[in-house]
Amino acid sequence: MTSELLRWLKPLTSLKLTIFCLACAMVLVVLGTLDQVHIGVYEAENRYFKSFFLFFSLPRTDLRIPWFPGGYIVGTLLLVNLVAAHIARFKLSWKKAGILLLHSGLILLLVGQLFADIFVDLESQMRLGQGQTKNYSESLYHHELAIIDTSGADSDQVISLPESQLYAGNRIELPVDSLEVMIKEYYPNAALVSPSQLPSQNYPHLPIGPMAVAVQMEKTYKENERNQPALTVSILQSGNLIGTWSLAAGFPRPLSFQAAGKACQVVLRPKRFYKPFAIQLLQFRHDRYAGTDIAKNFSSRIKLTDPAKHEDRESLIFMNNPLRYRGYTFFQAGFDDNDTTTILQVAQNPSWLVPYISCALIVLGMLLQFGMHLVSFVKRRAIA
Amino acid sequence: MHNLSSLVKCCSWERLVVIKSGSIEPAGWTPATSKQRNRDRVGWIRPVGLLLGLAMAMVSCNNDKVEVYLIPKEAINVAMQRGSAGLAPLPGAPAQWTRPDDWSEQPLSEMRLGSFKVDGPNAASADVSVVAFPGEAGGLISNINRWRGQLQLAPLDEDQLRQMIQRTEVDNVPTFLVDFQTAENAPKPSRILGAVLQTADRAWFVKMTGPPELLESQRQKFLDFVKSFRFTSPSEAERPAPAVSIKPKSTNDE
Repeated sequence: MTSELLRWLKPLTSLKLTIFCLACAMVLVVLGTLDQVHIGVYEAENRYFKSFFLFFSLPRTDLRIPWFPGGYIVGTLLLVNLVAAHIARFKLSWKKAGILLLHSGLILLLVGQLFADIFVDLESQMRLGQGQTKNYSESLYHHELAIIDTSGADSDQVISLPESQLYAGNRIELPVDSLEVMIKEYYPNAALVSPSQLPSQNYPHLPIGPMAVAVQMEKTYKENERNQPALTVSILQSGNLIGTWSLAAGFPRPLSFQAAGKACQVVLRPKRFYKPFAIQLLQFRHDRYAGTDIAKNFSSRIKLTDPAKHEDRESLIFMNNPLRYRGYTFFQAGFDDNDTTTILQVAQNPSWLVPYISCALIVLGMLLQFGMHLVSFVKRRAIA
Repeated sequence: MHNLSSLVKCCSWERLVVIKSGSIEPAGWTPATSKQRNRDRVGWIRPVGLLLGLAMAMVSCNNDKVEVYLIPKEAINVAMQRGSAGLAPLPGAPAQWTRPDDWSEQPLSEMRLGSFKVDGPNAASADVSVVAFPGEAGGLISNINRWRGQLQLAPLDEDQLRQMIQRTEVDNVPTFLVDFQTAENAPKPSRILGAVLQTADRAWFVKMTGPPELLESQRQKFLDFVKSFRFTSPSEAERPAPAVSIKPKSTNDE
């Protein structure tokens, strides 16, 4: 039995597999870096590194053919290979200490990245106008269809449907009030135009209102552009239609409806990440060098309020001086509206230390390994 | 700054490649070990594989669920919604206005940010609406022609319209006023008093529709109403209206 398993496992410990995986990883890095020009960092990262396969889409069909292993497969194989090899060939000795350290650093790096992908919130931004207070940040890339029950006395219940569930024909049962959502039409990216601008009345569009219709646009991957989806959605309760609405993320105004006597709203908007605290922008400063337009400093003076932790203080966020609070990091990332709106990048990564520890382990392992080689070499030379 | 963690993520792969290819030393490995030792260790591999499979499964279904959560009620920071709580404002900078006393509020519909009814003599009534759209909302000319269409008036070209549009400023925002009436022999005479306020990021449309006589008596009130518009974000008032909406800037750009 064991020998059977061993025979089956043997390929996993093979050095050829390691080389194969490394070669694949190199190809991925090269392809990802080149494609980044066309599709941007975020999409390249998703397509090449945070994926199981690279796909080739057959023209004029929905068929996608996997043609190359993606980052997850390569990384997992490498990890399995490394762990299996260590288990199969493990020998505790000082001579191997360097290699052991080095490889444990690598394993930590791979596992850390995997866990960061699983558990870490997507990066988001908090956009604050002068004096504005927010307790949520918004995704840069993802949208949500939010159904909000506003009937509560002091809290609203939000049901958030992720973008991945929004496609024409999808029927989603909601976990409350026997509500059901049907996506009738979905445009991943849409432009809002006046109805009079439509080439013809029959041109496919979603009526967003009497003065605007959404027309489908090609998905954009440009760094400075965002996709603005639009959709038509029907909401049903216990099988009975409550209403059908067309919504556009470019015009994220909630529409009101009644479900079982409760006041509700539906809105298509950038995905929100609510925080247990609130941030108010007191002042954004864009300092320039005297007599020029060259930026000297960007800073946001904010007020942090967290009733649960009795926190009520001001803080200054500027370049390379982020605000770190409750596991979130707020970086100064941008500005808008004639220097009156600040854009803070919000990152949450509990495993942010892992890459540092991994690299330290790897460096230590290398130093130890090569140091030992050097010492024995010098000794041998001295003897000779 | 903007892509700090994605950079780290990308780099970790690159680092992996560089470090791994630099450090791999076939000589450092013991290629063939005794079967006995392999047998002792092999029991570990299965759970590790299972764990990895589980991790892969978790990655694949990440960020894919319908979430339900409670949030504290959002403060409604728009002054304009007197008596219409519960309807959230447009994102970004809203506007405030002062309603003339004899105008009564109507429930807000899908597009309307403000809706009023004006009662006149002989059961005549006029309707006032306030709507806002991002950007230029299709352009001033086409929107004004759309209003003309509502009165069965033929569309006019830009030059003709320019002569009919009265230009002014409200709260430092360029404002265009129009006044149209149905043709003289129309079976149901009607009139539109309209104002388009072009702020930096959206166009505000204020429109009064109703019988010509009633609108004539309400004309000054309508103008006062338009003039009462205040855009709370200073940016809306300070900036001249750009032709296109301005994209946020990254601090990395400068």
